[in-house]
Amino acid sequence: MAARCMLRSVWTSFSSLTLGPSASNFCSLQRINVPQLSALTIQSRGIRQVVEKREGNTITIEGKTVETPAAPEPPNPAAKCPIYRWNLQHKYNYTDVLLLSQFIRSDGGMLPRRITGLCAEEHRKIAICVQMAHRAGLLPDHRPKLPEGHVPKTPKPKLNRYLTRWSVKSVKPIYKPGLKWCKKRMDVGHPALKDNVRYSVKPLYMKH
Amino acid sequence: YQWATFARSWFVIDARMQPPGKIASMCSIRLQGKHKPIYHALSDCGDHVVVINTKEIAFSGNKWEQKVYSSHTGYPGGFKQVTAAQLHHKDPKAIVRLAVYGMLPKNLHRRTMMQRLHIFPDDVLPEDIRANLTEELPQPREIPRKLNEYTQEEIDAFPRLWTP
Repeated sequence: MAARCMLRSVWTSFSSLTLGPSASNFCSLQRINVPQLSALTIQSRGIRQVVEKREGNTITIEGKTVETPAAPEPPNPAAKCPIYRWNLQHKYNYTDVLLLSQFIRSDGGMLPRRITGLCAEEHRKIAICVQMAHRAGLLPDHRPKLPEGHVPKTPKPKLNRYLTRWSVKSVKPIYKPGLKWCKKRMDVGHPALKDNVRYSVKPLYMKH
Repeated sequence: YQWATFARSWFVIDARMQPPGKIASMCSIRLQGKHKPIYHALSDCGDHVVVINTKEIAFSGNKWEQKVYSSHTGYPGGFKQVTAAQLHHKDPKAIVRLAVYGMLPKNLHRRTMMQRLHIFPDDVLPEDIRANLTEELPQPREIPRKLNEYTQEEIDAFPRLWTP
């Protein structure tokens, strides 16, 4: 019990140092003996490309870091979240595919927050916009990989849609909408985006 | 000059990726003749409207699944309720037609105005209607561009927000 408390306190104090390989040593050691990080073992972040080399009998599979070109200076470099750095807090929508495509994987899923560096609300808002863009069909190349040998069935004619809050399969039809004063309204858009900058006088209409 | 003001013009609207409600409101204004300063309910001043590409209509939100079109055949047990998706599959013209029908004034002129409305699910138009068209109306909603429609220069010009 005491050893566990000591372990946890030491872990929190050393959490800023990214110690990947030495984490496994914690459980085995009684006295915490953190090995000093030398310059050779500094972890680097970056997108790596898998390169395979065949030399006679040996096959070397290497992950080479792809050089990312330097990005231009953001207008507000002091902030933590990339969206706050570029002052785009309330200015993006599901149609800004160029912005949203920077935060998605090649099969359409979102990148984790600890990698992109987004704050919680912006990550949620971007996830919602990415969902709406997928349902609107604005990201046709970011589809999940089908397993090999998969024969696609005859596709049904796709219906065009936009600003869909709920998933297509989960929504039930409103058979009894009710009278005008107690009507079951259909949801359009998402309440997380209600603070977006509006250049028109009309308010954002989310209950149709 | 008065022949030009009292002439009946033919408008064409492209409904691709547009909400059917906005299309229907534009149609109803022009079918009644309310876009003309010489409008009067009794004077027959409505124009013809041709709607194209209604099979590519786009609903906002989850209305394809949630919106229900109900009707009764008159016989007992004949209450039919169809979702917008099913109705569109059966008849792609019906959604726009019903929307315009509901937006016109509820009087006997409505039937004649509906006869002046021409809906086509795709681009193919008969020759006589194509010869009559005078004006194309602008689309109410800006169609958002897909990712593959952006040129590579535009994608490169957009700054990267975070470094991996």
